Amino acid sequence: SIVSLKPLPPFSTGELQRSLLENCFSISTYLVRWRTECRLKGLKSPFLIPSCRNSYKKNICIDMLRQGYHKSFSELFTLIQKWNALREAAGPGSAIWQQESLEEQPDKLDQLYHFLTRAEAAQRAGNYEEVYNNQLNLAYCFNDSEDKWLRNYFYEQCFNTAQLIKIDGGKKEAQAHANMGLISEEQGDIMKAVEHYEAFYELTLGSTWTDETGRTYNSLACEHLWKTYTVLADKMLEDKQYQQVIKTLKKALKMAKEGGDMKMEGEAAYCLGLAYHFAGEEQAAIPVRKVAETVTHLEEFVKVAENAHLSRSLVDACILLGNLCNERGHYNEAFEYFSRAFEAANTLSSLPLVDETKTYYGIARAHKMMVAVNSHTEAADLVSMRYLLAWKESRSDVCADPLTAGEALVMKHISRLKEESSFNQFCSPSCEGHSQCLQ
Amino acid sequence: MCPRGAGVRSGTQGQAQGVDIDHQEADWVSIHERICQLLIPIHTSLPFFSSEKERKHGMEQLLNRQKYIIDVAQSTAQKFILEGEPGKAIPAGLQALRFSIRVYGACSVDVVPAYLLLAEACMDAGCLMQATTYLSQAQWLILKTPACSLAVQLKLHRDLGLLYAAKGDLEQSLYHLANDIYLASCAFGPDAVQAAEGYFHMAKIFLRQNKTDVANSLFAEVTAIWHAFLLKSVQTQEQILKTQPTRLFLSGAAEAQQTEAIQALNTILDFREKAPKQQPDGTAKVLHSLAMLYYLNGDLSKAREMGAKALDLMKQLPQQESLEAVDHLLNLINSKPCYGK
Repeated sequence: SIVSLKPLPPFSTGELQRSLLENCFSISTYLVRWRTECRLKGLKSPFLIPSCRNSYKKNICIDMLRQGYHKSFSELFTLIQKWNALREAAGPGSAIWQQESLEEQPDKLDQLYHFLTRAEAAQRAGNYEEVYNNQLNLAYCFNDSEDKWLRNYFYEQCFNTAQLIKIDGGKKEAQAHANMGLISEEQGDIMKAVEHYEAFYELTLGSTWTDETGRTYNSLACEHLWKTYTVLADKMLEDKQYQQVIKTLKKALKMAKEGGDMKMEGEAAYCLGLAYHFAGEEQAAIPVRKVAETVTHLEEFVKVAENAHLSRSLVDACILLGNLCNERGHYNEAFEYFSRAFEAANTLSSLPLVDETKTYYGIARAHKMMVAVNSHTEAADLVSMRYLLAWKESRSDVCADPLTAGEALVMKHISRLKEESSFNQFCSPSCEGHSQCLQ
Repeated sequence: MCPRGAGVRSGTQGQAQGVDIDHQEADWVSIHERICQLLIPIHTSLPFFSSEKERKHGMEQLLNRQKYIIDVAQSTAQKFILEGEPGKAIPAGLQALRFSIRVYGACSVDVVPAYLLLAEACMDAGCLMQATTYLSQAQWLILKTPACSLAVQLKLHRDLGLLYAAKGDLEQSLYHLANDIYLASCAFGPDAVQAAEGYFHMAKIFLRQNKTDVANSLFAEVTAIWHAFLLKSVQTQEQILKTQPTRLFLSGAAEAQQTEAIQALNTILDFREKAPKQQPDGTAKVLHSLAMLYYLNGDLSKAREMGAKALDLMKQLPQQESLEAVDHLLNLINSKPCYGK
């Protein structure tokens, strides 16, 4: 490879820089010529035009051609043309305009020469696995951000080649689908990504193929599908296509379960629950026997969210949990969840959210009190009646002692008049929520 | 009677061959017959012009006449080469060279086409040393002119490739043909018919080296390029005929290219039919391309023959995509009354 030159000292004078640059240029020109001469050595003829007159690109192309690698030549030539066209289309001032042209980067040309010719030789011999490997190597070579289009091009070539490989039972085809899925995701084409991941899943179902970390392809497929289904559902949510969202999230949940990762499952369950919530179908949502499972998963998710400081998700999850507990009559637990939601909501600066959680908090508190109130109502004896009356008048927690309650009554009345005009302290339950529940 | 003084002189060596009767006769049949009348105003001395403007006009006229002679000579030489009569092509080529030097000067790159034609004719006639001389002259002129057109450069490399192939130096030949293909791709694109010609010659060299798989791949490439080009030509032809039904057959490629293409495709067909391992889809494609080429050339009987063969082969194949294209072509052939060539 070309000798790498040391970087210039930071405070060199202009002249020194210029002469150094000139030397660099002449050294690199010499080295390029030397490389090309080496490649073409052995050809002696009066007609041989000196190769140093040719560009590096021309020498590589001619080298490919005279050995019979015409497909490699065609491909390389077309890629260089494509690069130039991309640059033209982007216009001056764009990032690509500043970049060095592909045809002026000897190292990249070398890599292309090496792998393309090997792929062509393998193709002529019908050894498609070898073709695939060489194309994959090229994809890895161009993993840099500035050559993403080249990398994607070679992944596509791999994909096309993989369709022809039958002897490995479809392993390379599966790999190729996974790679294409990743690329589609990167480019934002979620539908395409789903297609590829689904094919990846189908091909790996029941297989024992694993990647370098020992993870099975099928579990990878499940994870990718869960991820993409969730993203897809997100997009559909924006368009308010609730039925589609629920269908897609159900698929995501199924994938998450198959993938075997509890965290994935929890998140998927949470998303699905959230979707039902948005669609307003809370009653029809989750079958009763599943509720306990969902609750477990959601609780796990709440822990995750708390650790990761995902306040919004925490609020949503806690509200959902609170509702679930509410429905099943576990008012104490519901109250706990709603108060947690309320606390979390206070850390976010969204007043509507705070109000919402406040309402839930109030409802839950009321429900909690309902047990005590109901029992007193049913008992229907004098002591219970006194409790109830005192409570109704003081509008606070049910007091144990009716006598002190009477004194407290007067004080409360006075202070309430003062409070009504000022902003509701967030520590006390809202009066409206309170009264609504009891009627 | 044609003035003896205007006999043939070989361009660079300056030997007067006018004395030899055989040469004179060949010369007459080849080119002299055509340009005899044209030479008269050139060899008579210019009349006296009284004004600068008239002198200028006179010079221009002379120049145009000479350029016209160059054209006639070159096209005559080209025709004889295509018809396989290099002996007749050489005198015409020599005239073209002589006048090119006169018009453009011995060191101009515009003389190169004449050198190349002569080299081709000499190669066909078997005079390899002579061909070498002409080609080295041509190469020297091109080297001195960096801004020379790609079309001329690629022709030089092709001729050099063919020369080395004739001499038996296959590696050199491949090197020059590679240059030819590269330049053709730069000038016309990697899928152009000009590149196809280079690929074809290369394939023949690889066959000589017994690298059959490479040759096979190259032949497939040549067929693919011509097939695509001819399909488009046929479609364009159809469009034209719809609006102007009486128009004669025309093709996008020059006559020389067409003749070469017919030769090339027939060679490939031969190769495929004799191959130990048959590739019916490859053979069918060649047949289809030949059918289209004959159709566009006006040779309808041959076109029908090739088309029918192609159809038969394609019916046996699992994928029948090109079937309707061939069907359509046969309909076109059968519906056309013979316009002749």
